[in-house]
Amino acid sequence: MYCKIFSVFLLVLLSVLIPVTAQVKYTINGTIRDAANGEALIGATVYIKEIKGGASTNEYGFYSITLPPGTYTLDISYIGYQPVEKTLTLDQNIQLPVELSAETQQLEEVVVKAEIEQANAQNIEMSTNKLEMKTILKIPTLFGESDVLRSLLLLPGVSTVGEGASGYNARGGSVGQNLILMDEAPVYNSSHLFGFFSVFNPDAVKDTKLFKGGIPSRYGGRLASILDVRMKEGNSKRFEASGGIGSVFSRLALEGPIIKDKASFIVAARRSYIDVLARPFVPILKEGGALNFYDLTMKANYNINRKNRVYLSGYFGRDVFRFDKTQGFNWGNATSTLRWNHLFNERLFSNLTLLYSKYDYALQFGKDDRNRFSWNSSISNVILKPQFTYFINSNNELNFGGDVTYYTFEPANAVGTTNGKAVDISLERKYNLELALYMGNHTKLTDAVSLEYGLRYSYFNALGPGTVYTYNDTIPGVRRTPVSSRTYGSGETIASYGNWEPRFSFKWQTSPVSSVKGSYNRMVQYLHLISNTTASNPLDVWNPSSNNIKPQLGDQYALGYFRDIGESRAYEFSVEGYFRATQNHIDYIDGADLLINRYLEGDLLSGQGRAYGLEFYFQKKTGRLTGWASYTLGRSELKVNGINRNEWYETRYNQTHNLKLAAFYDINSRWSASANFIFTSGTPTTFPTSRYIQQGILIPYNVNDSRNNVHIADYHRLDIAFRLEGKKMKNGKERKNSDYWVFSLYNVCARKNPFSVYFSQTDQRIPAGQPLPSSATQLSIIGTIVPSVSYNFKF
Amino acid sequence: MVAGWLVTACETTIYPTLESAAPVLIVDAWVNNKPEAQEILLTYSQGYFDSSTPPPASGASVTVAESTGKIYTFSEDDKKPGRYVWKPATGETFGSVGNSYKLSISYNGETFEAQSRMGRVPPIDSITFDQDKRIRNNETIYRAEFWATDPRGIGDAYWIRSYKNGVLLNKPSDINIAYDASFSAGGATDGVQFITPIRRGINPNDNDANGNPLSPFLPGDSVNVQILSVTQAAFDYLTQVTVQTDRPGGFQELFARPLANVSTNIVNAKSSGSKALGFFNVSAVSIRGKRFKQ
Repeated sequence: MYCKIFSVFLLVLLSVLIPVTAQVKYTINGTIRDAANGEALIGATVYIKEIKGGASTNEYGFYSITLPPGTYTLDISYIGYQPVEKTLTLDQNIQLPVELSAETQQLEEVVVKAEIEQANAQNIEMSTNKLEMKTILKIPTLFGESDVLRSLLLLPGVSTVGEGASGYNARGGSVGQNLILMDEAPVYNSSHLFGFFSVFNPDAVKDTKLFKGGIPSRYGGRLASILDVRMKEGNSKRFEASGGIGSVFSRLALEGPIIKDKASFIVAARRSYIDVLARPFVPILKEGGALNFYDLTMKANYNINRKNRVYLSGYFGRDVFRFDKTQGFNWGNATSTLRWNHLFNERLFSNLTLLYSKYDYALQFGKDDRNRFSWNSSISNVILKPQFTYFINSNNELNFGGDVTYYTFEPANAVGTTNGKAVDISLERKYNLELALYMGNHTKLTDAVSLEYGLRYSYFNALGPGTVYTYNDTIPGVRRTPVSSRTYGSGETIASYGNWEPRFSFKWQTSPVSSVKGSYNRMVQYLHLISNTTASNPLDVWNPSSNNIKPQLGDQYALGYFRDIGESRAYEFSVEGYFRATQNHIDYIDGADLLINRYLEGDLLSGQGRAYGLEFYFQKKTGRLTGWASYTLGRSELKVNGINRNEWYETRYNQTHNLKLAAFYDINSRWSASANFIFTSGTPTTFPTSRYIQQGILIPYNVNDSRNNVHIADYHRLDIAFRLEGKKMKNGKERKNSDYWVFSLYNVCARKNPFSVYFSQTDQRIPAGQPLPSSATQLSIIGTIVPSVSYNFKF
Repeated sequence: MVAGWLVTACETTIYPTLESAAPVLIVDAWVNNKPEAQEILLTYSQGYFDSSTPPPASGASVTVAESTGKIYTFSEDDKKPGRYVWKPATGETFGSVGNSYKLSISYNGETFEAQSRMGRVPPIDSITFDQDKRIRNNETIYRAEFWATDPRGIGDAYWIRSYKNGVLLNKPSDINIAYDASFSAGGATDGVQFITPIRRGINPNDNDANGNPLSPFLPGDSVNVQILSVTQAAFDYLTQVTVQTDRPGGFQELFARPLANVSTNIVNAKSSGSKALGFFNVSAVSIRGKRFKQ
């Protein structure tokens, strides 16, 4: 069937391409940058009045438009920047690099003009959210520390199981179904301090885009969402230092030109110091314990010439937790990305990326070298990714390319040493190769209808050397035991899977201010995050597909209505419905043993999932008061043989209602205020009905064999922050440096929002034969108001 | 463990209304070869918040058949309904290593059955005590450790239980189980000394009234360690029991596994019959005790 789809796809593509070659046309192209620091602007718009259309810049700020000869008026704009209008006569290819200046305040008329062409109803993208760094920096946060990932939680269709939980859930998907990219490198654990902060240093982030649906064919590998975070290139005009001092960590970022307007760099670092401050009060810290994290983000780029530019970026971060001098654990990510932008000709843009990414953790227990248990685990990959964009004409933009990924998994390297005698219980490494080829075209069929259609073919190969097991078939939900094993030699294929992934979106412009958009995408996921705890934790391992684990498949359909409101289109409204069906969703037998277990795959179950919902979004974009309201009505369910009487059950992260309000208000030129409010339905959990005693231990029991049969109490939280800009003038002169203070209150109502409820017998030692008291305990991670102050500067 | 001091996690006792449930027959049948009377308890499950003594299931007939053909009859205790006891003759112990056992319970016109097998146990070579100084208040902490080696051959499983001054340490956090010499079948530690956390898993971890940890042992205390062989099914069962019952709360709940029913090996001879829960296991035991003298 997919062969047929592919043939049709090629036909459609050819029919678009063939007429193109007939007529003489010229190309306007260039890069759009911020005039202040030379940063490329992603998603800036070039609108050509004569054709009522245009292009927007790609991830490297590049655009290209091909038109018949003539005189054209170009409107070049980007949100928050003063637009530029240019009139030119096109009688040859033209390079038109543009620098836009950030708008100063009280430029609302201009702003309005700039936004018209960027109105959400005009864009083909749906189910996609872009969060500006400027906005992220204004959102009130826990401990006053701005965070990219925590800010996403204010968007429609995005949720979390609670404070301190790492990652996020997109449209009823699990945390492991999100692909998080940092300059294209996959980040396997996006959290610091469990889930309170993310690995992204806000000083170094340029652009954050979340795809929940209508995912273009160039992305793949996870079912629920793609979070594409792009880092800054570094100021190419002048040297700049920025940073902040907060209650949890301090930040410092340095950036500047290496060669003015030709090469620049940025280095940004953070370190938490709560352990330093707490040392006098916390015994464990005085005894050599530690709890901290740090990270370093670096990037440099060099503009070789008009046709070639290279970027090198890297990240290194680590969380350290030690009970004393020798015992504890640590975990972290390291990524590096090398990219080469090359312009083959005026219309063919390419980028070649080579990257390396690794996540690892290590634990160590024991008094000394002779008695110790040490354990570490890692996942690493090397990816080569050629990507091409062919700007065919003003109505067609063709993307094609591929990925080659080589994974190395170290599920566990573990050695126990007793009185100097070591016992190695390490598990074998696993090797995998993932390939993908994709092609997609964005086409404007008529003034009203645009399509984006594409196809991705992905192929996954589990390679030797390795030992694989086959397991017996037993009652669903019971541990399967290995019945045979087979050893494969180096490079031998253990299992392989290939999948076609069609992608399709359309936009139908029903009026200049309103449109209907729809999309379908199939996503395939070959790596599985193995986690059966309430929140994903640093020790969770990723497991590749194998002879026993099939890849997860997800088909998502979405339909939405988008409208810009107001004479100046200062408001936007959208409503989107989505439905996603998942096959081979991973679940776990009760009592599954996920760590250092060579028979892990015998403890995994596979089932089907479905998630559906409606997302409403309303935003006010201009004026002194800006902000948005987002409401999601959703459901996320699984059906796995052996669980919940084989009936559908809600996932742990299912939330029926999810309401978020974010507001930003400029009080005067120095003070501004922001607030957000979150209300979500309590997440599902399992309560027992009964108890019984076995060998003096009290065991909870659910007579109906239910999973997630009740909901914990609803969650709501209000946060407020005030920002005070430093004085702009000093002794009558303008200050060279700028600074601001942020005063924030997290959880203003001091509500004890539940994270979970657990059931347990008394902690007291009860004499044998005496009745055992039992109780239910509700846990709130942050049950109080958390005030904080931070100071931020730039010079 | 990570910390009340990181963020102020707070806990509240709540009293949710739970779904009502009919009582289920509970079989608590852990039999061993110690030279003493062996008991099997039959009770009913209760509502989760019902902290009274579980209602007994009285009037059942309880036997264990050995693969040799020998039948062990457990008769109900006159004074304690629901308690069924087999009393050994002088010098007799229950079963022997390598034999299989079948539990049969006839109760209210239904028959419940379960299978087990007595596995081997290694001897305990010695018990040692060591000390550690706490930097904070210069207080000395004494911990006990037993030394034993898992016999060669994959698939031995054990429950290590310890007594401090004659009292069984029996909180959920005290459950100390081993598969061969380590924590799980996937660990591949056959035929070696038990790994450190298991050897040291015989210490009580209790706090004083202020929440400060107490030294597990002090000079003069005695410890008695017993290694009981269990079947692999019993090992899986105890793993599940630990996950479901050992809930230290606080920040660790972030990474706790969701509530789920633990398995059982008690089956109704008629598959359409009523359900019973609990476990039947026959153990061989090796014992060693030591009084801590400084």
